[in-house]
Amino acid sequence: MNKKQKNMSWQSLSSIIYPAIFGIVVFVMWQGGLLNILLHTDTNTLPSPSRINSIIMDNQAKIFLNLKATVIVALVGLLFGSLIGYGIAIVAAQYRKWGAGGITLASAFNAVPIVALAPVMNNLTKHISSSVDFRSMLAKTLVVMIVCIAGMSVNAYRGLTELKPFSEDLMKTYAAGNFTVFKKLLLPNSIPYVFTALRISLPGSIISALVTEYFSEKVIGIGRQIRENIVTAQFATAWAYIIISCLLGIVLYVLLLLVESVVMKNRNRK
Amino acid sequence: MAQIKKKKNSSTMVTLLWTLAFFLIWELIAFWVESSASIRSPEKVLPHFWKIVAVAFDGKTINGTDTAIQLVWLNAKVTLIRSAQGFVIGASIGFLLAILMSLSQIIKKIAFPYLMIIQMIPILGMAPILLSFTGDIDSSRIIIAAILTFYPVATNTLAGMEAVEKEKHELMYSYAANKWQLYTKTLIPASIPYFFTGLKVSAPLAITASILVDTLQGGIGLGCLLSQSLKGAMTRYVFWLIVVISAAIGILSYLLMGLLEDAISSHKKAERACKR
Amino acid sequence: MDTANTETEILMSDIGMKFNSGPDEVTALTSVSLDIKKGEFVSLVGPSGCGKTTLLRIIADLLNPTSGTINIGGESTKQARLDGKYGMVFQSPVLYEWRNVVKNIELPLEIMGVPKNERLERAEEMLEMVGLKDFGNSYPGQLSGGMQQRVGIARALVIQPEILLMDEPFSALDEFTRERLHEDLLNIWRRTNKTIVFVTHNISESVFLSDKICVLSPHPGRLSAVVDVDFERPRLMDIKSTPEYTSKVFEVRSSFEGV
Repeated sequence: MNKKQKNMSWQSLSSIIYPAIFGIVVFVMWQGGLLNILLHTDTNTLPSPSRINSIIMDNQAKIFLNLKATVIVALVGLLFGSLIGYGIAIVAAQYRKWGAGGITLASAFNAVPIVALAPVMNNLTKHISSSVDFRSMLAKTLVVMIVCIAGMSVNAYRGLTELKPFSEDLMKTYAAGNFTVFKKLLLPNSIPYVFTALRISLPGSIISALVTEYFSEKVIGIGRQIRENIVTAQFATAWAYIIISCLLGIVLYVLLLLVESVVMKNRNRK
Repeated sequence: MAQIKKKKNSSTMVTLLWTLAFFLIWELIAFWVESSASIRSPEKVLPHFWKIVAVAFDGKTINGTDTAIQLVWLNAKVTLIRSAQGFVIGASIGFLLAILMSLSQIIKKIAFPYLMIIQMIPILGMAPILLSFTGDIDSSRIIIAAILTFYPVATNTLAGMEAVEKEKHELMYSYAANKWQLYTKTLIPASIPYFFTGLKVSAPLAITASILVDTLQGGIGLGCLLSQSLKGAMTRYVFWLIVVISAAIGILSYLLMGLLEDAISSHKKAERACKR
Repeated sequence: MDTANTETEILMSDIGMKFNSGPDEVTALTSVSLDIKKGEFVSLVGPSGCGKTTLLRIIADLLNPTSGTINIGGESTKQARLDGKYGMVFQSPVLYEWRNVVKNIELPLEIMGVPKNERLERAEEMLEMVGLKDFGNSYPGQLSGGMQQRVGIARALVIQPEILLMDEPFSALDEFTRERLHEDLLNIWRRTNKTIVFVTHNISESVFLSDKICVLSPHPGRLSAVVDVDFERPRLMDIKSTPEYTSKVFEVRSSFEGV
């Protein structure tokens, strides 16, 4: 092997090795108790990884139940929020004169604190169902949905309107109908923008799900468990849920990237 | 040229009309909620917007000393100051890290995957644990606001520096510019629009963070007041007033970043003036 | 032509350039030997992949050749760069959108530590030379493509370089703008007496502008001919309609190999 090639493989290898070394160092410091000294905390507030792991192992059934609640809220909210957002974008792109202003308003919702939405939704759903399970689930999902609508509608609107020059004119010369134009041109053009939106809204949906759980009627979900355990000073258990929530975020994000790489395989994107 | 100006005005008008439509829909739903027989306390579901405004300007005191708007504003001010502190700290750290990452491949390689992970970790969910770390609610509010600010600023600024064309680097190289000149004359100014993109994302986040941490413990702050009003300690309209005010602060913080960007980039102003 | 300077400015012998190595190896240039006189206007002409830009980048010290030697007035390309002997003009104007026109031209002087008063004076002198006297306070976003490229030329010249390196500077402009810039460039060249190395794929452009045309052919990139152009100077647009001009264009065209 010659020098240049060695350089190339070292380049890609080092981007795994360096962070891995860093991660291992932190892990060892954490397990060895050095992190507690550095952060001035006792092993109660920051328990060692092995202890957190044993708690996760001992409470698998309970953790799974809470995990399921959070995942359903986050993903259902993400799905419907994104669909509604895309729908808004289609309408806005169809009537651009009015659409652009509507999109500006939608983007303003991005700036509304989630904490203000959660109690509102709780009140709203109280009259919809008498089942606590259902209505608190619905309230949480609605919050996640609203958080996801804005991101998707803003990005999808760009995907539906920022077309390559003359591509719309080309469609016109084929005398393509509105639906054909959408299917052959607008939809494929908007796909990269949809993924951009999802990359922002996926972590957003998980965060919103966790936060709305703080306010919801029923005590369930990863976020609620973190809070409940902190309030009762069960820090080790709280840490177990925090680790689970991180893993959830990472796994879902990696899944999204995988789907994106499959869908976008044949496009070269900058 | 006059046409472009007209077009710009009309798009402002459209946004304005949409905002009006939003409030109209709000009022319609509020009427429906009010007249619905099955809903016993309509102000808990959705009160009329004008009633919220009326409470804000009502001269009556609600806790013996302050009127509603005085009380909310008092708490909002505290929340704003805390989130501003966290925001400034987070933005500075994010900016510095972006420069470090662009200076050193090793730092970039170490930090990048962890930055990705931080983005996926629900930081807001970690608010309680941070409180147990610091033991001090005030500093944990600031730290969380800083963490949330730091990530969008760092990644966007780095993206801005990496988006600088190869030719600009070659130009600086041909002038035999040193690292300091490369950064101060080319990379940092070029990354300013990206830096502001990061700030626009994180300004409302910093405020959300501060309000959320408030709800974990009593004291002063919009979040604390929110918890109290939910528990029925005062009229329900105070709760609605907080919702409206915090939404307004979030939106205003976003707009403020845009104004700030316009103020420091004189070329944008000149180009706009020319197009008119 | 007997008054022409005969002192050599750029001397290249047996320059070779390879990119990558092992199975992906690409030979960009093989044994290019060339000698460019002081004050000469030399074009590097060829289709894409012939290595003309690579050769320009080697002169500019942006690339090191894998074989052969090059020197600029007896010193290394690196030394020449450090001495501020090069002015670069790229295909796109590469202006700093947040700086106004004067500040863009002052940029290289700022880096070289020239005092403020002198910077402004020299920048305004350059602006006048490229015909943009009234646009000093405009921002690049407010200028047309041709005007932006004039600013790029002014910025390259403000450091008073010995050599102007131009990489397809007019290829993104429309024909009318390009022809005006051709005449203006020749005027500037006559007034400043720079050595110009001009990369282009436009044969007619190279014939109109140059003293000497270096024809490069691809696969692998090599110097296949050097064509002297000895039309009288100053040249005007009219010469393009003469039979001599047409036959010179034809001569350059027929020197390409393997296209």
